[in-house]
Amino acid sequence: MLLELKNLKKTFKNNHVLKGIDLAVKEGEVIAIIGPSGSGKTTMLRNINFLETADAGTMTLRQKRIDMAAPTQEQVLWTRRHMAMVFQNYNLFKNKTALENISEGLIFGQNKSKEEAETLASRALDQVDLLDKKDFYPSQLSGGQQQRIGIARATVLNPDIVLFDEPTSALDPELVGTVLRDMKRLAERGQTMIVVTHQMAFARDVADRVIFFADGQIIEQGSADDVFDHPQHERTQRFLSAIAEDY
Amino acid sequence: MRLTKIMTTLLSGLPTTLTLLIFSFIFASVIGVCLAWLSLRRNPVAKGLARGYLGLVRGTPPLLMLLLAYYGLPKLFLLVGIDINDWAKLLFGIAGLSIGWSAYLSEAFRSAYLSVDPGQYEAALVVGMDASHAFWRILMPQTLLIALPNVENLLIGLVKATSLVYVIGIMDMYNTATDLSNQNQGVYQLEIFVVLAFIYWLVVLAIEWGFRQIRKDYQYVTV
Repeated sequence: MLLELKNLKKTFKNNHVLKGIDLAVKEGEVIAIIGPSGSGKTTMLRNINFLETADAGTMTLRQKRIDMAAPTQEQVLWTRRHMAMVFQNYNLFKNKTALENISEGLIFGQNKSKEEAETLASRALDQVDLLDKKDFYPSQLSGGQQQRIGIARATVLNPDIVLFDEPTSALDPELVGTVLRDMKRLAERGQTMIVVTHQMAFARDVADRVIFFADGQIIEQGSADDVFDHPQHERTQRFLSAIAEDY
Repeated sequence: MRLTKIMTTLLSGLPTTLTLLIFSFIFASVIGVCLAWLSLRRNPVAKGLARGYLGLVRGTPPLLMLLLAYYGLPKLFLLVGIDINDWAKLLFGIAGLSIGWSAYLSEAFRSAYLSVDPGQYEAALVVGMDASHAFWRILMPQTLLIALPNVENLLIGLVKATSLVYVIGIMDMYNTATDLSNQNQGVYQLEIFVVLAFIYWLVVLAIEWGFRQIRKDYQYVTV
């Protein structure tokens, strides 16, 4: 297993957001996490890369075991350098150009030289067909372009896992397609991905495993066909029947 | 009296005014950044210290601040065995204005820092930067850009506040003007003060131009 979570718990005040999550991710696996808003999907991702600290739980990443409730600073940095994240609101650095957004992590996270970082960043931009925008600031780019640069910024770091937090939720519908296309390409290259998404068609098309999340727990998981066509749990059935989308 | 004579006399005070302005602004900014840093700490002592200084300084008229710097600082320094009585008046002027403006600048920096989108910091962390790189590369530049309009206002305010140093006898532009007016028994008073206002206005215009250039350079950085 590449990543293993055991008994991940998180509480905000009296709200139990994560009630003991167990999750194992194989190398190259694409996992889609679906579920209603507020069910703890995003919180789980944020706990995995320590943007928030869990109340309990252990994580084993590349055989390295980390207490998620009390990670050392070194473990936090190590984990972040093995994972990358794509945010719902892109979060591109507003004071950096597209190229700098991508090279910054290489220079200051991975100690690469500026020249090497820029070469790699240019290549990553080219992979998302945005090399011609390399000197543009985020404010000069559309939401879709920003998110594709967000994806390039994540993948250029050559991470073990890329975490996607609802990467298309903030986009205009017409821009969603290009972002999903880049994600699909990434999956085809064998990148391990955990994708929190409301794009059921994408989950069905690309994910090796679909996990249905509700009330801070994994309710059901399996192949896309299993979860979408033969949901076992009543809560999953209710969620899927409430979705208007054709998946 | 010819206008050129008024102009050249008043301009002789301009270097002093600009020296006061530049050094006060630099020191006030440095103290302001430190104060903002202190007041953003979770440590209640640090926070309390910064808030106390802020309350005291903001509650004191700038004129009084200059007098306190001039008469008070030598006594304060004597307590720790340092005699600064021989310091030039200009240094006390700079000290008074720096202390006064540091409080306003610290609030400009603090509020700007709090306005930076928290997602920017998170994004820096997830690409593997440590907290210090995240601060210097991402948060600090954005903070400065957000603070820019406030800082510009405060700098313009400081231009005008430099005229208060007459109270400790520094011959800046304003004091030169009143001196010239007195020498002429107030006969050319209006002309002198109109010219003086004109020169101050030019200084402010130059500052506005400078800030406009900065804004233009960063027009695509929407923080």
